Amino acid sequence: MAASPTAPPTSAGTLKLIAPLTPPSSTRTWLTVPHHSLPLVATATSDKTVRVYSLRSFTLHSTVSGGHKRSVRSCAWKPGTKGESVLATGSFDASAGIWRRWDMDMGMARERDLTGGVDEGDEEEDEGWRFSVILDGHESEIKSVAWSASGQFLATCSRDKSVWIWEEMEDDNFETIAVLQEHEADVKCVAWHPEEELLASSSYDDTIRLYREDIDDWTGIAVLSGHDSTVWSIDFEPAKPALSGDSQADASDRARWIEAREASGPRLVSGSDDRTLRIWRRRPKQKQPAPPTGQGRIPSIIRTHSIEEDWYEEARLPVAHERAIYSVAWSKRTGRIVSTGGDGRIVVYEERWSEPKGNEEKTDGLNPEGTEASDLPVARTTWSVVASIEMAHDVFEVNHVTFARRFDSGRTSDDEEIIISTGDDGQVKVWTVEI
Amino acid sequence: DPFATAATDSGLSRSFSSSSSDLNSDSDELAEPIDEQEVYDLISTISDPEHPLSLGSLAVVNLPDIHIVPAAGSSASSRMRTVLVEITPTITHCSLATVIGLGVRVRLEQALPPRFRVDVRIKEGTHSTGDQVNKQLGDKERVAAALENGTLLGVLRKMLETCQ
Repeated sequence: MAASPTAPPTSAGTLKLIAPLTPPSSTRTWLTVPHHSLPLVATATSDKTVRVYSLRSFTLHSTVSGGHKRSVRSCAWKPGTKGESVLATGSFDASAGIWRRWDMDMGMARERDLTGGVDEGDEEEDEGWRFSVILDGHESEIKSVAWSASGQFLATCSRDKSVWIWEEMEDDNFETIAVLQEHEADVKCVAWHPEEELLASSSYDDTIRLYREDIDDWTGIAVLSGHDSTVWSIDFEPAKPALSGDSQADASDRARWIEAREASGPRLVSGSDDRTLRIWRRRPKQKQPAPPTGQGRIPSIIRTHSIEEDWYEEARLPVAHERAIYSVAWSKRTGRIVSTGGDGRIVVYEERWSEPKGNEEKTDGLNPEGTEASDLPVARTTWSVVASIEMAHDVFEVNHVTFARRFDSGRTSDDEEIIISTGDDGQVKVWTVEI
Repeated sequence: DPFATAATDSGLSRSFSSSSSDLNSDSDELAEPIDEQEVYDLISTISDPEHPLSLGSLAVVNLPDIHIVPAAGSSASSRMRTVLVEITPTITHCSLATVIGLGVRVRLEQALPPRFRVDVRIKEGTHSTGDQVNKQLGDKERVAAALENGTLLGVLRKMLETCQ
């Protein structure tokens, strides 16, 4: 626990509950993920099932059951599918499952929801989920599953310290293309870069590791060290960054910041048992500083051509949690970050242009050792807490939080954003941010 | 209670719930506060996994090493409490320290209302790998998975049999 105790976050904003998803699970729920296009979410549940809820009616749509012998710890919708939805599940029983369902069934159920029909517990609907394939290989509990942006690869990770990458060769035929054993302890979370075939994993060993394919083999390309305890959750920044707030920085400073951001690509956020949230940034290779003159340093040719990447801690978010941070997510629409954890708080952060030069106190950005000042853009940004809520799930811990599109009748625009939280009380709750 | 339900298949939930619903009813703040002595009474009767003796009689758990503090934060969380239990293994390299700590954590999470956060740690300087044990005991996911592990459940059930 490295972070020093702090007062609870003070901010004008709060989170307003739109609705809980009903009925709740009678057992702990671990995580909820939104579908890429349909108004659905999937909730991984300790009763060995996945509960699929409608974001239009906030009611249970269907249940994925019968495949796992222990808790379903994680699940993920395969991106980009049309006509059929594909769900990957990862369980404490050490196996991953692939499930399929025709979207026509999804759509019909959705329409019925809209017409106000009460179709709770409709068992016909549940038959719509077809168990497709089981992915065996891990030796102990699977903690996290994630599809690559293209949907070509599925990553799984486990207490057995390994990260596996699976490739779907043809329907229902998955091949193991990599078993990455770089971590020294449980791997808690896997996340893919939004554009590149770059995989990140975070661990009980306090590190984050990045992997890429080099010729034919997937290999580690970076280790991100700094957290003082388990890194529970990681998420990449969206491909197109969105910065909020009024600009106090002048136009040329902003332009340079954007140029630098484009050169480094999407950043990574991590949340830890040490109660800190950190932003990691790749140092662009073409911007390697020239060796100091007169010291006889030879530029490393191997390094320049190496697949290895240099990532550094760019910033820390304000410390706003009292206990372990279990989950962090980066919004694709607003660029905001949301976090939650054992203290039951949900906290929303926003990145803004800093005050003009000279007001250093307002800058959260770090200048870590080894960072050349010239690497850093002139206009700095500041992360602040813009909204938070205590006891989001009454007295229970909150295990997961994510952003999603709003679909219910209360929405005011097509891309309105909601926050979805998942707790030890078996509840999944839908929130709006009010600032 | 999430731990009880996670263990549904094993029958552990039944054996726990019959013995542990005693304090679970304080749903309002007017209920009599739970103090360190009550926490001690809940865990001192746990059996040591390898001796026919209780953790209390072995001085693995001790009243002065139990601390209940209000959770920090705003008034919204004023009902929240953190219980810290520091356990003293009988020998500094006791290989069962993790299991004993797990038994204490599980017992308290079953018996106390959910507004209590339970932290179980090895008392400083009393175990050769205390930090590692503490990290395991603090890892919610590992604890949850352990409760779905039949072998470990058997050991825990035996330890907690004597808690009535």
